[in-house]
Amino acid sequence: MSGANPVTDPAILAEAAEDLGGRSRLAWFMEGARQAMAGPMLVVAVSLLSVGGLARDAGFSVEVAVASTILLWAGPAQVLFFGAVAAKTSWPVIALTISLSSVRFVPMVVSLLPMLRTKRTSLPTLLLAAHCIAVTVWAEGMRRIPLVPRDGRLPFFFGFSLICFVGTSISTALGFVLIGELPPPFAAGLLFMTPIYFVATLTRNAKRPIDRWALILGLAVAPLTEAFAPRGLDLMVLGLSAGTGAWLIQRHLDGRAGA
Amino acid sequence: MSEINDHGLWPWLALIFFGFLPSEVWRILSVFLARGIDESSPWLAFVRAVATALLAGVVGKLLLSPNGALATLPLWGRVGPLAVGMIAYFAIRRSIFAAIVAGEAAIIAAGYWAR
Repeated sequence: MSGANPVTDPAILAEAAEDLGGRSRLAWFMEGARQAMAGPMLVVAVSLLSVGGLARDAGFSVEVAVASTILLWAGPAQVLFFGAVAAKTSWPVIALTISLSSVRFVPMVVSLLPMLRTKRTSLPTLLLAAHCIAVTVWAEGMRRIPLVPRDGRLPFFFGFSLICFVGTSISTALGFVLIGELPPPFAAGLLFMTPIYFVATLTRNAKRPIDRWALILGLAVAPLTEAFAPRGLDLMVLGLSAGTGAWLIQRHLDGRAGA
Repeated sequence: MSEINDHGLWPWLALIFFGFLPSEVWRILSVFLARGIDESSPWLAFVRAVATALLAGVVGKLLLSPNGALATLPLWGRVGPLAVGMIAYFAIRRSIFAAIVAGEAAIIAAGYWAR
């Protein structure tokens, strides 16, 4: 199967589902790294700049700020953590809030891991892969991973993730030093990077009505849960209600198509 | 609150026990939840829809109850640029890059306008 490009040729992809598509593991690792550098790494790095500034405001050192990026690997949880420490929130409440905000990783990990693993994948490898999954890596992974042959997926994913970790670590440190220097409209622009990037990426990822409706309903329900759902649980309530709504709409459409 | 740095290991322990572990427990749990689920399972469509809606919810939260510099903008100054970005996305060959550039230009302009 030389000749045709294994990344773009769907016929070969289907046939090559159990192999590396003619490339080495290292080549897939590098391909993941290259694709991350071509865009996603920059966006996730920019979105983490503000975390560095928050960490400084909360009285932490730059090393702890960078460690928070590598360990938590969740922009919103980091914002919560440093914001809550700065507001002198009690530690058990901080831990609980962080934990509630990270419940959102459950559907992300559960939907991405089955694409990544093979029968031989070890538990430590799976745990490491799960740690790498955050919103950006998930959203990009759902689109890119299916195009990679089965045995190239984990190397590709780790290459992609590693570049994102490196980029965000640098930007967290940079944000620690820089954020106070920016004029407010540009600081607002930095914080706006996450919303516009997520919505554009999710729109591009949406292949079926269920994905589009999950996005639309999620945005539409947000003001309601923000106003009425208990703090900390609002995202879970939103995800489950909008996700179920989208699933019901898809079922309705499938039923009509079948009838 | 600079006193947190005067205690050597304390910031690191705080990060690990009150940040990292409470968050990571869900990823670890999910590895085991994902075990029985096949890539082609119909459940996965539902799980993916929940994850997508959650992400949309994160966006809604960031725009509706903003932190820091975003909070200096009125609501139209936060939601409008999102619409501008998405119009650019559809107008320019479904380009994520176009969405980001147009959205960023709009919010920076809104920032100066609203001052």
